[in-house]
Amino acid sequence: MEVIITTQDSVTTARLIGRLDTPAAQEVSQAVEPLMAAADGTIVLDCREMTYISSSGLRIFLTLKKAAASKGGKVIVKGISDNIRQVFMMTGFLNLFEIED
Amino acid sequence: MKQKVKKDDSFIRRSRWTGLMLVLVAAVTLEATSLIQFFFSQNAIRQEAALRAESELESTRLEILNVIDQAESAVRNNIWIARWCLDFQDSLSLVTSRLVSDNPVVMGSTIALVPGRYRRYPLCAPYSYQEPGRDSVLTKSLATPEYDYPSQEWFTKPIELEDGYWSEPYVDEGGGNILMTTFSMPIRDEHGVISAVLTADISLDWLTDLVGNIKVYPKAFSILASRSGKLMVCPAESLIMHRTVQEAADDLEDTAAAHRISRAMLGGETGSEDIVYQGKVQHVFYSQVERTGWSMSIVIPDSDINGHLRRVGGVVSLLQLLGLLMLAFILLSYARNQRKNRELTEKKNKIESELHIARGIQMAMLPKIFPPFPERKDLDLFASIVPAKEVGGDLYDFFIRDEKLFFCIADVSGKGVPASLVMAVTRSLFRTIATHQDSPKQIIQMMNDAIADNNESNMFVTLFCGTLDLKDGHLVFCNAGHNAPEIISDGVRPLDVLPNLPVGVLTGMDFKEQETFLHEGDTIFLYTDGLSEAENQAQELFGEQRLEATLQPGLAAVDQLRTMHRAVHTFVGEAEQSDDLTMLCIRFLGGNAETAEKERSIVLRNDIGQISRLADFVGSLAREEQLSEPLTVSLNLALEEAVTNVIMYAYPQGQEGQVDLQAVRRPDALEFTLTDSGKPFDPTAAPEADTSLGVQERPIGGLGIFLVRKIMDTVAYRRTNGKNILTMIKHI
Repeated sequence: MEVIITTQDSVTTARLIGRLDTPAAQEVSQAVEPLMAAADGTIVLDCREMTYISSSGLRIFLTLKKAAASKGGKVIVKGISDNIRQVFMMTGFLNLFEIED
Repeated sequence: MKQKVKKDDSFIRRSRWTGLMLVLVAAVTLEATSLIQFFFSQNAIRQEAALRAESELESTRLEILNVIDQAESAVRNNIWIARWCLDFQDSLSLVTSRLVSDNPVVMGSTIALVPGRYRRYPLCAPYSYQEPGRDSVLTKSLATPEYDYPSQEWFTKPIELEDGYWSEPYVDEGGGNILMTTFSMPIRDEHGVISAVLTADISLDWLTDLVGNIKVYPKAFSILASRSGKLMVCPAESLIMHRTVQEAADDLEDTAAAHRISRAMLGGETGSEDIVYQGKVQHVFYSQVERTGWSMSIVIPDSDINGHLRRVGGVVSLLQLLGLLMLAFILLSYARNQRKNRELTEKKNKIESELHIARGIQMAMLPKIFPPFPERKDLDLFASIVPAKEVGGDLYDFFIRDEKLFFCIADVSGKGVPASLVMAVTRSLFRTIATHQDSPKQIIQMMNDAIADNNESNMFVTLFCGTLDLKDGHLVFCNAGHNAPEIISDGVRPLDVLPNLPVGVLTGMDFKEQETFLHEGDTIFLYTDGLSEAENQAQELFGEQRLEATLQPGLAAVDQLRTMHRAVHTFVGEAEQSDDLTMLCIRFLGGNAETAEKERSIVLRNDIGQISRLADFVGSLAREEQLSEPLTVSLNLALEEAVTNVIMYAYPQGQEGQVDLQAVRRPDALEFTLTDSGKPFDPTAAPEADTSLGVQERPIGGLGIFLVRKIMDTVAYRRTNGKNILTMIKHI
């Protein structure tokens, strides 16, 4: 799993590439640490190249969202595939996040 | 004429009498059978309840320790930097505020110097704490005349013990009446002298939710007590932190038991005990949360555990009563119809036919639809029973559980009603016991103990019981005095069996178990002595030699039996059949390419890196079964969650373990079985995640199991032979 973080103005974008399974989630949770600091602005999780997510991946998303909610920022989830949309629907995450195509 | 009428009356009286006796005997047997069944079911249900309670206690204990660990490691990890800062006392508050801001579970932290240890600051204790409701960390000094920190428990205890210490829980009035506890640890300076104490406060609010929400059974509740017995969580909120377990025990009606439990809890023991509370029997299971010295217990009302069984028992008794009434009615109307028959021979016929009605009822218990498992390609099975004119006590039975065929054949000693009644009991015992027990030896031993106990009529049963693993033909069997079955492979030979005593002779007998393998196409042919000892008119026996010569390799089970019937019939000729003739023929067809292709398995170590091997496994399964891409992703997700759960939590940290995953393709479903030898844990007992909650209320964890349940159509857990077995079925 690869994570590329870029910042422009107050928007921090994390491009997630590959499978976000349980072992990958352990690396990713460290890789997105800088996003926690930027949680008062806008965080974009670019999932166009993410092929899979497990519950430990969902935890990372939720942790970021909680941080943003308490600091007044927002989290946008971008470009999730149909399979991942299915997982978001089952877990009620569709209602928690702003989803963009 | 007068005389004739009299005779008539006495006959009717007598036949009514016989009918009544028969109904009575049937009633007694049915009741005895139900009682035995009730007893075994009750034991199984109790064990299940204990297992559930223990696994719930265990998982709650682990969740508590998880938070406790976070606070402890936060303190332990900061000890070295705190030691270093002892020489720069102005920077102490930097350490405490870092500790609080980096660890969300820690509400407050202080480094308190030992009075008089440093000249510059005789008293010094900077205290950093999370400002309630905000994310910022504030610092104040605890070195005030009102507070006198050197006399507080959190300060004195770690110095006295020279080790980390969890304080008694206390209510923090400053922070909004929250239940708190503090972990403190002594800091030594470079000369090894204890110079200060580092602490972390954690809030215990979550405990109320965590422990209070344990719901193993609808009316069960939980209690958490501190080291000194103070109630931290209990259903009566007014008692929390105001009463101790000992005081609460004083108020209960069953004071003796309550005190025993409270002593055990405070003594840090793990166990269970029954108590009468509010007039009802309750089962109490308790366990200790180490380090903190807390003790946790679950109280389950007996009615929650056994209530359902009692209701079922009631319905069964009612049905039995109805059945008996019908039997009585049939017999009585039968007796009425016989009014005209006065001859002695006809009376005899009547009694015999009544016995046959009874026999018919019992025969109806045996599986009689063939082929019994039409969907299975790995098994060909046929059985038959030809009752003799006089009722006897033969039986056979079989069923499939966990991909194993459980089967038995038996012959009760003697004939007539007593034999057939013992047969009914035997069959019922086999079904009840084999549903829980996997080993033929255990099944036979338990049946033996049940029948031998109170066996005043000295009836005994010769019995052969076996299990055939349909995956690989592994045959495990135990013989209790029965004829050796024949194995039909390339040729025909008797199975090499140990004789053992028949069932019912001696309580506590130790039976020996044996094993072998059936190869593809092999047949095991079981029979009772009604076959081998069938007599012709010259009073010769059919015998094992004729029997073996009749069996032929390669025949289907049904043809094997048909040929045998023909041979016996020809041999016996006009002679009357003197004993029940029972045969059970099992042909193993498994292990063929088709079945092998439909079963796959993988063994994973308890290392999270193994998840990629799981993905490969699911990928190749999907290709071979041509599963759609969304289905593959879902299956992968559910299996990853289930496997991750085992990898992370089943084995103690640092201990190597493994998890086996087996996938079986059924005609309309995929069945996955996950097996591990870790500690008992029932993931299906976890509460359902609430997906409607908002961001703030939504807990971070708990989604894994939720996804498994959401994706799979059936998720079932059981614990057998020290293993956790999770079966997941997905219809396709």
